[in-house]
Amino acid sequence: MAIDAVRMRNDLSESWLSLRFEMLKHLKRRRLFIVGALAIVVPLFFYVYFYQADPNAAVDFANMSLQFMNVLIVISAAMFAGDAVCGEFEKKTSLLIFPTPQRRSSIFVGKYAAAVMATFLVVSLYYVVLTLQIGQLFGWGEIPGALGKSFLTALIYSVAAVSVAFLISSLLKRSMSATIVSFLALLMILPIVQMLISVLDQEPWFIVTYSSGLITSVLGASSSLPMNPGGGTSGNEIQQFTPTLKTGIAVMVTWAIACLAAGMAIAVKKED
Amino acid sequence: MEYAIRTENLSKTYGKTFKALDSVSLQVSRGEVVGYVGPNGAGKTTTIKILTGLIRPTSGRAHVNDRDVVSNPRDALRSMGALIEVPGVYDYLTPHEMLTYFGRVYGMRRDVIDQRIKETLELVRLPDWEHKKTGAFSTGMLRRLAIAKAVLHRPDILILDEPVLGLDPKGIMEVREMIRQFRSEGMTVFLSSHLLSEVAEVCDSVIFLDKGKVVTSDSVEGIGRRVGHAVVDARFLHPLSPEEIGKLKDIDLIKGVDMKNSTARLQYDGTPETSAQILRLLVSLNLDVVSYAAEGVGLEEYYVSVMSDEKGVN
Repeated sequence: MAIDAVRMRNDLSESWLSLRFEMLKHLKRRRLFIVGALAIVVPLFFYVYFYQADPNAAVDFANMSLQFMNVLIVISAAMFAGDAVCGEFEKKTSLLIFPTPQRRSSIFVGKYAAAVMATFLVVSLYYVVLTLQIGQLFGWGEIPGALGKSFLTALIYSVAAVSVAFLISSLLKRSMSATIVSFLALLMILPIVQMLISVLDQEPWFIVTYSSGLITSVLGASSSLPMNPGGGTSGNEIQQFTPTLKTGIAVMVTWAIACLAAGMAIAVKKED
Repeated sequence: MEYAIRTENLSKTYGKTFKALDSVSLQVSRGEVVGYVGPNGAGKTTTIKILTGLIRPTSGRAHVNDRDVVSNPRDALRSMGALIEVPGVYDYLTPHEMLTYFGRVYGMRRDVIDQRIKETLELVRLPDWEHKKTGAFSTGMLRRLAIAKAVLHRPDILILDEPVLGLDPKGIMEVREMIRQFRSEGMTVFLSSHLLSEVAEVCDSVIFLDKGKVVTSDSVEGIGRRVGHAVVDARFLHPLSPEEIGKLKDIDLIKGVDMKNSTARLQYDGTPETSAQILRLLVSLNLDVVSYAAEGVGLEEYYVSVMSDEKGVN
């Protein structure tokens, strides 16, 4: 029992070291600054756009601004976790960090946690800017209470998206491929699968990107784009689905755990 | 006896049939500098990757300081430093930032880390580059930085895999000098190389590996004796006259003389005693000896005689 406690303390200490080192790398590579800048600039763009469009409700503004949140999370996850595993092997830095007295799993836990933390920072920054904008435009009392729920949902989706990118990073050999595939998987492939399932009149409740629709739907607006832009009743209308909060969160958490576990198992056994 | 490095029937198979290592058993005593020699693909790097926990053996055991590297990697790797192949670096970090992380990994205190960073960068002749990004470093500088990382925590055991690969002559000399210094500090050095001259210069003993199997092992002098002769290069202040060359050939201890400009390649029986006696005789003949250095020709001849094919050796 005492040995297990010591081992766990060592594991945590190593993961913490790895997390700090990884954050230093994100800062030094300026990735954190670049994605952070996006989190500030994009809401400003919506600010200008909104000002011209002149909607009349804070919740509409929040809903409009948060349409980008999904993309921002995916960019963050792909940039911070896309090369977390394969990058070390591709650039041969694995030959520096692995022959040291630390468990490989501890190193990867730290790298994963750093990617989650960096994504959390970016997401939080976006919500801070958005909240300030709503306060300034509509008054501080008009800030929607559901924005907090949306923020929490965005954080949960961030964990799931980072897990997906981490799994892809452990499966592929090249950082660039892993980053691009992560990006495509979360922004194109899974949404296409989601759409195809919807076409069959089935709710794609088990797809993580569908659950990410909660980020905006908790504000009281559907995240799904209209499938019949003309608005007519042609007879080919596609059923619109909106994820429920409990199911959506459960799906995101499941994806996060499953992808992390699979990615970790592969990463730990990965050899040159 | 407690060995610094010990393997028992170590095997590594890739796929179903390719045996990179086949029941390799070796022992390296404490404080010994051992050359691990073999052609490309012999299994040198595979052995080192197992010893450093980078890959797992298919069967067999590997111990560092009597700790199993598979079941107890933390303890096994704590007292070891390693330079494997050509490691990458984080080119956006400075040596200080990189080495600080590794110092923490080895549980060193902050003040000790700062002090050791300065000492090791001094050792590898990079003291002015401590706070400059490694992206601007040359190959030789990167290799020296990797050596600094390997010795930062004052390991008992140092594993070097082709440490001079890709270096210019000056870089090669510097690395050899460092290895000599580590040896003088009592460090156990396991040096994988296919440069026999390098092994002959810095190692106490040699393990020959071919096609994943240990062919033989012996001390450098022992191998010289097995071959029947070793070679020492004696350089003189001026080219020798025919009369002086004749005097050299008359020395019984010298089995053969090959002159080139002012350097004589002298064949002898390979023992250090004979080498010392020859030097004394050269001085007593009033020949102006500028330098006197053992060469690895004996090793090369032995290598060719024991290896199944000679590809990949220099």
